[in-house]
Amino acid sequence: MSQPPLVAVSDLHTHFPVRKGLLRRRVGSVRAVDGVSFSIPRGTTLGLVGESGCGKTTVGRSILRLVEPTAGTVHFAGSDVLATRGAQLRRLRRRMQIVFQDPYGSLNPRMTVRAILEEGLVIHRVDTPAGRLERMRRALERTGLTAAALARYPHEFSGGQRQRIAIARALVLEPEFLVLDEPVSALDVSIQAQVVNLLADLREQGGLTYLFISHDLSVVEHLSDEVAVMYLGRFVEHAAAAELYRAPLHPYTLALFSAVPRIDPARRRRRIVLAGDVPSPARPPAGCRFHPRCPLAESVCREVDPPATRADGHLVHCHMAARALDRAGGDTDAAAAALAEMLARSQDATLAAGAGS
Amino acid sequence: MKRSPPPEKGDSHHVPVAGGDTAPATGRGLQTNGDCHLFPRSTGFWAEAWRRFRRRKLALAAVAFIGGLVLTALLAPAIAGTKPVLCRYKGRIYAPCLGYFRRDLEPAIFTKDRFRGTYPRNLAEKDPESWAVWPLVFQDPSRSVRADEWPGEPANPARDEGRPSRRNLFGTDQAGVDVFAKMVHGTTIALLVGFVSMGIAGSIGIVMGALGGYCGGWVDILTSRITEIVMCIPTLVLILAVIAVIEKPTIWHTMAIIGATGWTGIARLTRGEFLRLKGAEFVLAARAAGAGPVRIMLRHILPNALAPVLVPITFGIASAVLLESSLSFLGFGAPPPTASWGSILNDARGNLAMWWLVVFPGAAIFLTVLAYNLIGEALQEATDPRLREARK
Repeated sequence: MSQPPLVAVSDLHTHFPVRKGLLRRRVGSVRAVDGVSFSIPRGTTLGLVGESGCGKTTVGRSILRLVEPTAGTVHFAGSDVLATRGAQLRRLRRRMQIVFQDPYGSLNPRMTVRAILEEGLVIHRVDTPAGRLERMRRALERTGLTAAALARYPHEFSGGQRQRIAIARALVLEPEFLVLDEPVSALDVSIQAQVVNLLADLREQGGLTYLFISHDLSVVEHLSDEVAVMYLGRFVEHAAAAELYRAPLHPYTLALFSAVPRIDPARRRRRIVLAGDVPSPARPPAGCRFHPRCPLAESVCREVDPPATRADGHLVHCHMAARALDRAGGDTDAAAAALAEMLARSQDATLAAGAGS
Repeated sequence: MKRSPPPEKGDSHHVPVAGGDTAPATGRGLQTNGDCHLFPRSTGFWAEAWRRFRRRKLALAAVAFIGGLVLTALLAPAIAGTKPVLCRYKGRIYAPCLGYFRRDLEPAIFTKDRFRGTYPRNLAEKDPESWAVWPLVFQDPSRSVRADEWPGEPANPARDEGRPSRRNLFGTDQAGVDVFAKMVHGTTIALLVGFVSMGIAGSIGIVMGALGGYCGGWVDILTSRITEIVMCIPTLVLILAVIAVIEKPTIWHTMAIIGATGWTGIARLTRGEFLRLKGAEFVLAARAAGAGPVRIMLRHILPNALAPVLVPITFGIASAVLLESSLSFLGFGAPPPTASWGSILNDARGNLAMWWLVVFPGAAIFLTVLAYNLIGEALQEATDPRLREARK
C-alpha cells in the first residue's frame, strides 16, 4: 500500500441552509454530511450503505462538487478537488463520473443517445468527430448495447437499457473513478443482477475505482472491497467488506443486517426492529446520534459523542462496541457475538414488557 | 439489434441472475429485454407532440385558419385592391400592388404620369399596348371606388345603402369604402399584433424567468420583484397614456407596450420550470461532464421548459389580438389609413343599422381569438408529459 489512494476525503461537511421568511434569512442548516473521512485506493470499491436521508447521496455529489461542501477536503489523485476551479475543475471532472439512481431522470428526454454521449467529449474537446463516434460505439458495446442506439431517444429504451446508457455516458470519458449512486435500486431484480455484473466486469477490465452507494446490503457485499455504514450524516462503522459482514459491531449495522432476508438458515439472523424514525438532520440528537433508537443506549450514549474505536482496521463509533471490544481483547468476532447477544436480550425484554402491559 | 454478451471471465464476483437457477433459458448474460428495434423509427419530443396534436381535429382546423390568415395578409393586395398585381406599361413590367405594403414600393413612373391611384382607365389611355393582371376584387381598402373607375361599374354606395351585395361582399362603410377590402388588408395587423407583442413578451419572459430560476439568490429576488411590479401595471391604461404623449402613435407602439407588459406570466412559468429542472439528474450529469451554466441552460433546461411556456404564449397572442381590437374600437388603435378589424367595429358605433359593420369584423376577431385558444389548449395537451404517459 505504498501507492496513495485515488480518492481521499477528510472531515467532509455538507450543510444545506434552511431559509425562511420574506428576506430568506438563514434559520438553520440540514447537516446532510457532518464529518466524514475515508479513502479509496485505486482499483477498489468502497460501498456506502445507510437508510434514505442519511446523506450517502450527498457524499457522492460533494466529491464531484455537484453540491458544494461546507468544510473538509477532498483529494483526487493528489489534487485538491475543493480548491480547483474553472478549466482545472473541468479537467478533473473528466476523470470522475457519476451514474444516478433513476435512469428515467438522468437522461435528457430531448436529446438522442448520441447527443447525450457526445456532450462530454465535445466539452472536453476529445478527438475528431469520427473518433468520437468510435469512442461512443465502444462505450455502448462495453455496456452491452450497440451503436444502433445512438440515433434513438431515451424513452425508447427499457429501464435497464437506460441505465446502461447512463453508464456508457460515464465511461465514454474514460474516467478513473465512478460514483455509483444507487445504480440498481430503480431496476427490476432480474435486471439489477445484470447491471451489477456489468459493473463488476467493467471494473475488472478498466481498472476503475468505485464509490458504490446503495441501501441494499447484498448488492454492496458483492461489489465492495470495503464497506462504510452511514447514519445521519456520519459513518458509524467502516471495515473491509468480509470483516464487516462477518462481525458487525455497531448496533445500527446489526439492525440493518438483520433486515436482509437470507435463504441460508445458518446465516439467518435474529430480526432487530428499531423503534421510531431517523431524527431530522437539521437537529441531530446530542451524544451518539443513534441513541434515541438504539436498544442498548445508556446514559453515556446520550451525552458523549462516541469516538472512533479501531480494531484490525475495523472502525466503529459506539460506546457499547468499544466496551465489548475491550472485554474481548480486541477480537472483533467475539465482540460482535457479544453485542448480538445483548441486542437479542434487549429485544426479548422489550417484547416481554409489551406483552405484560 | 443484437446484444453481445459480456466477456465470460471473472465469474467469481458475479451475482447469479434472478431466475437463472430454475430457468436456464434466461441465462446469466447481459441480454437486455427491451426490443427497441420494434419501433418503426425514432421520434423526438416534437414529432411525438405533433402526432398527438394532430388527433384534435378542431385544433388542426384552427391551425389551418391561422395559416389562411397568414396567406391572406401576404396576398392582400392581390385579393382586394385597385392597383394591378402585374402590368406592362410603356414596354416594362411593374407590380404597383406592392404600394399597398409600402407607399414607396409603388413604381414612380405612375406618379410621374399622374395616374393618381386610378389605374384601369389611365393604363388604357396612356399606353394602348399595356396589359394588367388585376386583384380578385376591384375594391380599395382606404377609399370608395368611384363610378366608372372600372369601366361600366357604378360607384360604391355609402351610408345605410351599403349593405352586402355582389360588388361589395361585406358591404361598405359610412364613406363607401368596401368592408371586405378593409378586412383583408387589416389581417396583417391582426396577425402582427399577436406575433410581435408575444415575441417581445416571450423573449423578455423567458430570459427573466430563466435567470431567476437558474441563478437563484439575489438575482431571483430581483427578477421576481420586477415581475410583480410589472404585473401591477394596467396595460390598457398604459397604452392610452403613451398614445396621448407620443406625437405620432403607430400600431408598433401598441405592440411594444403589450409585449413589454405581457411577459409576467411567461416569466413566472419559466422560472418555475427552471427551478424544477435545475435539480434534475440529467442536469447534474451534464455538470459532472463539465458543462457550464450557459450550456446547461440552453441545451438541457430550455428545451425541456419550452413546451409548457409555449402554451401561455399562444393564449397571450389571443388576448393581444383582443386588446388591439378593443383599442381600435375605442378609437385609439391603428391610425388611418391602416384599418384594423377593431376600427371597423368603431365605425359601426354611429349607425347600428349598418349591421354588416358589426357582424363581419366581429366574427373575424371572434374566430381568430378562438383559433389561438384552441391551438393553445391542444398544445397543452400534446406536450403535457403526464397525459403523454397515460395515453401511450
